This record gives sequence, C-alpha cells and structure tokens, in this order.
Amino acid sequence: MKLNNPRALEEYRVSLPPKGGGAPVRVRVCAGTGCIASGSQAVYDAFVREAENHGMTIGVDFAADTTGCHGFCENGPIVQIDPANIFYQHVTPDDVPEIFEKTIREGESVERLLYRDAATKKRCKSEGEIPFYTHQQRIVLQRTGHIDPTDINDYIREDGYSGLVKALSFSPKEVVDEVIKSGLRGRGGGGFPTGTKWESARIVESEKKYVVANGDEGDPGAFMNRSLMEGDPHSIIEGMIIGAWAVGAGNGYIYVRDEYPLAVSNLRRAIVEAQRLGLLGTDILGSGFDFDIEITRGGGAFVCGESTALMASIEGMAGVPRVKYIRSTEKGLWDAPAVLNNVETWSDIPRIILNGAAWYAGIGTENNSGTKVFSLVGKIKNSGLVEVPLGTPLRKIIFDIGGGVMNNREFKAVQSGGPSGGCLPASKLDTPVDFDHLKEAGAMMGSGGLIIMDDHTCMVNVAQYFIDFLVGECCGKCTPCREGLHAMQVLLHGLTSGTARPGDVALLREIAESVRDTSLCGLGQTSANPVLSTMKFFPEEYEEHEKEGFCRAGVCSGLYAVSIDPETCTGCGMCARVCPANAISGEKKQVHVVDHALCITCGSCVDACRFNAILIERGNSND
Amino acid sequence: MTELIEITIDGRKVAVEKGTKILSAAKELGIEIPTLCHHEALPPDGNCRLCQVEVVERGKRKLAVSCMYPVRGPMEVFTNTERVMDARRSVIRLHLNRCPQATILQDLAREYGVEPLDERFVAEHDDLCIRCGRCVRACAALGNNCLGFAGRGWDRTIIPPFDEPPVGCLGCAACAEVCPTGAIKVREEGNIREIWGREFRLVRCTSCGEYFATKEQLEKVDSCGVEVSEICPHCRKRDEAKRMKIS
Repeated sequence: MKLNNPRALEEYRVSLPPKGGGAPVRVRVCAGTGCIASGSQAVYDAFVREAENHGMTIGVDFAADTTGCHGFCENGPIVQIDPANIFYQHVTPDDVPEIFEKTIREGESVERLLYRDAATKKRCKSEGEIPFYTHQQRIVLQRTGHIDPTDINDYIREDGYSGLVKALSFSPKEVVDEVIKSGLRGRGGGGFPTGTKWESARIVESEKKYVVANGDEGDPGAFMNRSLMEGDPHSIIEGMIIGAWAVGAGNGYIYVRDEYPLAVSNLRRAIVEAQRLGLLGTDILGSGFDFDIEITRGGGAFVCGESTALMASIEGMAGVPRVKYIRSTEKGLWDAPAVLNNVETWSDIPRIILNGAAWYAGIGTENNSGTKVFSLVGKIKNSGLVEVPLGTPLRKIIFDIGGGVMNNREFKAVQSGGPSGGCLPASKLDTPVDFDHLKEAGAMMGSGGLIIMDDHTCMVNVAQYFIDFLVGECCGKCTPCREGLHAMQVLLHGLTSGTARPGDVALLREIAESVRDTSLCGLGQTSANPVLSTMKFFPEEYEEHEKEGFCRAGVCSGLYAVSIDPETCTGCGMCARVCPANAISGEKKQVHVVDHALCITCGSCVDACRFNAILIERGNSND
Repeated sequence: MTELIEITIDGRKVAVEKGTKILSAAKELGIEIPTLCHHEALPPDGNCRLCQVEVVERGKRKLAVSCMYPVRGPMEVFTNTERVMDARRSVIRLHLNRCPQATILQDLAREYGVEPLDERFVAEHDDLCIRCGRCVRACAALGNNCLGFAGRGWDRTIIPPFDEPPVGCLGCAACAEVCPTGAIKVREEGNIREIWGREFRLVRCTSCGEYFATKEQLEKVDSCGVEVSEICPHCRKRDEAKRMKIS
C-alpha cells in the first residue's frame, strides 16, 4: 500500500490499532546488545510460553515485544511492564512465572527484581524513580526501549514521519534554515554545524547528490550508534529523507559496521517497510520527490569512519582516506556533492523539523544545542547508554547518572571521545560536556564514548592500549601515522616494560606532536591524543616510568612491588586465593604477607582486595 | 578564459590559474619545495607529507601539503617558516627510520640536519620502499594495474597481485623509473630484463641497435591501434630533429 499524500499518512496513523492490539498488559523486553548478551531472548520466550500456560491470547489478553536498548545495560536483562509502569532488572526466565503471578495477575511488583537505589536504599518501581534515568533527558533515545524497531507502525504511532510531512511543505532552503537555526552540530564528533554543511551542498549545482549516514561506530567501548540503528532505525531514515529533500539528493547510503548484524537487519527491514508505504522511492507522499536508500556494510576498518575513507569504501575501493582540501559537500561520493552525517545527527532531524528549531535550540547551551547520547563504560557502577543536554557537567554524568566508580574506588580519569579523544583527570570533572569545553579541556566529544578509569589504572598503559589499537587500525597511507604510531608504540612498550632510555618521554612527545600536525586524515591527526592528553594531565607517571621504572598504579608488571598494609588487612584471604604465584600467605583473619621472591607483579591481588590493603611501592618485587 | 588568482609565496606575488596546486605555483617563482611521493606525470596523492607549507587563507593559518592544496582564492604561502621546517624534519626522520639506506633520504637528512632515530625503531635495514605508491600510480596510469598496496599501517607494502610474478606486467619498468628511492630492482643482461620475478625479452632499435623496449611493450602498443615503431625514442628524437632542420 502506498501513501500517496500527507493526508493518507495521517489517515493511516489514525487507522492503526493501539499498540499491542489493545491488550490490557504489555511487556517490553529489552533486546539491545547488552541485554541480548545477558539472555533477554530467553526471557522473552519465557513470557510468551507463560502467557500460553495461563491461557492468554497474545495480542488480545497480553502483548510482549522485544524493543531496542533501554539504556541501563549494567542491570540487564531489563523488562518493563505497561501500563503499570514497572521496571524489572536482572530478569531470568525463572523469574517469569512469578512476574505473571504477582504483577500481571495481581498488579503487585516483585520486590527483589526492582532496582535498589544505593543512596536512599529504596526500591524503585518505575524508570521514573531511578536516578540513572531521572537525570537524563531522552530525545534521541525516546523511542528505543518503547517501540518494536521491526514494526514501522510502532514508529508511525509515535509521530513517525510527521517531520517528513512538515519538511515537504517547506522549500529545501527553508528546511536548511530551520536546521541552521536549531544549532545542531555533527554528532559524529567533529561538531561541524549540520545546517551549514547542508547549505554548502544545497547550493552546488549537480545532477547527482547524495546523503550518507555514518554508522561505522568503531571506538572501543562505544555503542550509542549501534543502539540507535537497532532500536529506532526509522528515525535515521526519516532524517535522511528530509536531508535529501533539503539538499536535492536522490540517493542515500547508510554505512553500517558489519559487526552490527542486528543493526543491518533492522535497518534493512525498515527501508523495505518505508518503501512499501511510499515513504521511500519515487514520488514520496505524492510530492514528486524521489529518494531511496541503500545499506553499505563496512569492511571492518576503523578508518572507514573517516569521511573520505567511508566514501571510498562505498565506491567499492579500499577504505583509505584521501586528502580533502575540497569538501565532500562539493566533491564527495563519486565526485558528486555528498552530505555525510552521523546516524545520531540524522535521527535528530525529524524532531527538529516537527518541533521547530527554537525548541531544539532551547535545549543544551549556547552554541551547543540539543542532547547527546553517551555510552558510559569502564569502571563505572551504572554502565549504559546515557542521553543528556549538552553542557551537562562530567561530574553529573559520572556520579549522578553513572553512580560513581565501581567498588567505591577512587576516580582517576575519564577517556572521552574514543581512541582519538583524551583523558581528563578529576580536576576537570566540572567541565561542561559539549564540543567546545571538552576540546578546551584537552579531550574531545568524539562520537560519545566515556570510559571511566579508577585509581588502579596506569595512564601510560592506557595510552599504550589506545596506540596499540590505532597501530592496528592505521591504514598506512601517510608517513606520520604509519611510521609515527609505530615509533610511539615502541616507546610506550619500553616505558611499560621498564626498558625505556633516558629522553624517551621527550622523544615520545616530539613524535606525538608531529604525528598530530602532519598526518593526512582525522584519524592520524588525532591519533596522538591519547599520549598527549595523558602526558598533559599525568606527567609524573611518565617521568616515573622512564626515570625510576616505577608504575604507581600497580599495573605495569615488574615496575612496582606490593606489600600488605597491616592496618587495613582483614585477613580475608582473598589476595592469597587469587595469587597465581602463591606469593601471599597468612592465617585466616590474620594480616597476610607477600613473598617478594615469588611475586610476579600481576596485580591480581590489587584488583581482588576489597579493603585497599595492597600497597604499591617502588622497587621490583623480583629484586 | 580561466580565472587568474594572485597569491603570495614567501612574500613574492604570482598569478596562477584557479585550481593550480601550490607546489606548481611555487615552481613558477623558482621556489623549490622538497617532494617524495609527487611526480609530474602522475596524479598527486599527498601521502609522503614532505611538501608541507604554511597557508594563510581566510584568516586561518595552517600546514598543508603543497602538492595537493589548490589555489582557490587569495592566500599567502610560506615555504620556509620554523613550523614548516619542523614538519619536514619530522617527516624526513620518520621516513629515514623506515629506509635508513635510501640515498635520497640520507641527502635530505643532511640538508635539514635530521638525526635518525635509534635502532629500536628500524624494522629492516635494507628496506628501500617508502610506500609512496608512485609505482602503483605509474602502472595504473599506463593501464596495467599490476601493482597495489597490501597490508595496513606499519605492515603496508607494495606488491603485485598475490605477491606473485605479475601476469599482466609488460616489463616496461616504469615503476622502477618513477621510484624515488630505487626500491624496485631491474636486472638487465643481454637481451633479458628481469623485474618483479619475471623475465622479458628486449627488442633492439633498428636504427642504433640498442635494446630499448620489451616485446610485450610493443605488443601492447600494437594492440592499442598505434603504429609500432621499432626505433628507440632517442633515435626517433634525433630523426625528428633532423627533419625539422631540413624543412
């Protein structure tokens, strides 16, 4: 069935049966990546089975849906029950019969499955009571977790494609102006004003133009684009249609990382469903405007997230960046003008058009309007997907939403912006999270990964981790990145293994700066950031590694000695149990001791001790 | 008429056609900018990063590779500031680290006062390839595409398909000709040329008797519908010059 005009879409929307076929109870099982990994599919199956056991008819007495990510990944699998608005965490198939008996039959909640707020010690019944959610403002993630991403009707019920209808009533120039006024900046990390980018593509005369969505999320620990593509694919598609109308593009590509099979299949299904309703294809909603979208699956290279490499990859060539002194909006895909935006940017568009630029510009701060999705990971209590207005201080994200550092250890640093970003120390916790302040502080927004590190983190080792990652992902085209990253890797491995030579830290800085200044593409230019930012904020650790062969965090094997603090040791024996070298001994409930001759400085005891009784000292245990 | 744009390089003015690269504009003024991956006959690639200059354009000052940066409006270019020299020195040092034996790099290092990194950073002492891909571009420009990049990052190399003697190779040795470091080995003995693990029969010039091309090269020319000349370029030039004198 094709919807031939905007009115037909409205009529279609009204004609849709209510969600879940009007069943009195609806269960939403999170099928985001985290929850699937912790077994949510089996939980969903258990609900369906149990409903049948209770003689209920699915879609009449009872509805169960798998939805996109609910965000609170740490506590998955997550199940929410409507209309009672109950939020259950860590649900297993074995819990399902009880949920049926108590919640679905009696309307009562199962206490032990409710989230318990660590601060107030109170059980939270609904999403709206959990601090993790109450401090967020969910716009991009509004629908993920609520709708079934494989059903276009779910999207249409929630105002889906209304932004498109409104955009088609505007001239392309008016659409671009609206995006400019909203102040939206690219969510992929660059922060370039989206409307300005569109305008430069709009004014170019060209027979062919393209819009492209970047879904090649590759930063370690980042999964916000993935959750969006999996959980709300139509919002990306609708944004792209609006963008195509605005710049005059006839074709669109969504470049998705091939390691995201669910994102690929949900997007693919969404495209087919949109085509079926005439929202994609020829004469969209009777407007005379033709536009269609194809999916390109990435080849697995991190560098393909870089705009020119991404376009080369779509063109069927090796994903290698090219020098771009001429912008993609002028000469991009197949040398035609192309607008490339991150999937989150595209997803913001329909709401901006629907609710107006002023509404969007009113969220966040000046020059940094709107919200941004972050994936909060690392040594944080509440790992998950977080969406906050730009300008929210780091502290609020990490402590109020994230619940603070895991195991109540001390906060040491937050890595923002992925491998190309930077590490910020505790003194920068009050930095407002937006494009400009993060850059000023020495990190960057990037696509939105936030990795939290505790005091048992060696910053030299962190830099080495990211440089190792980038050495593997460097394409090798330009000299500074290809040769420089390797040289940095050699130096960092020297520092973390105690074989550094005098002057190595200075040399490392020199090479890092030259890689930053002379590399060809964005990956190369930012690849030195992990080194430069950790050097800036933790210079003493580099000094100690080079000059003393000492790792104060107790991470770099052989560069420290451990001893047990007799004051704090409770004699619980945990350290002795995890020690692979049997170097720790002691009677139960007595202070334990370390035999330095046997200790291999693996750090297992440091991780295992819950009382922080393992002391890191200078000197090699093996001496 | 194409638009002429006046720009300033090192304080000297020059008017060039819109789209001209800074490197060419500098050449018009006789200002030399060192290059490695650039070759007049090949499309630029901007990968060696040696030809950096500082560009001041629309109020912004930045480093740019001159072989690819187009003149699109008024701009000021500096080819010998401290920042440019630093950039070039660091690039030379990194190249030298890969190919310590390459004479062109040793010369550059002397000229720019670059000390090589220590032995910890060198992978193979006899590696001469700087991965600039001039050979790849030359072979592609001649329509053969017998060379390509393999591997990524530090492991990136240039090889024929599957690292086997390339089937489509004509033995023209253009790859070796354009290589800035002499990394591609060509052996000639009698009428045999060996390159990329293959042997080619050389053809004598019917005029001077010198070997000047491979049989495969002449066959390729023939297949393109161009009349095959069995006279070497030298003799052809000489004959042409003679003809011009007579007329």
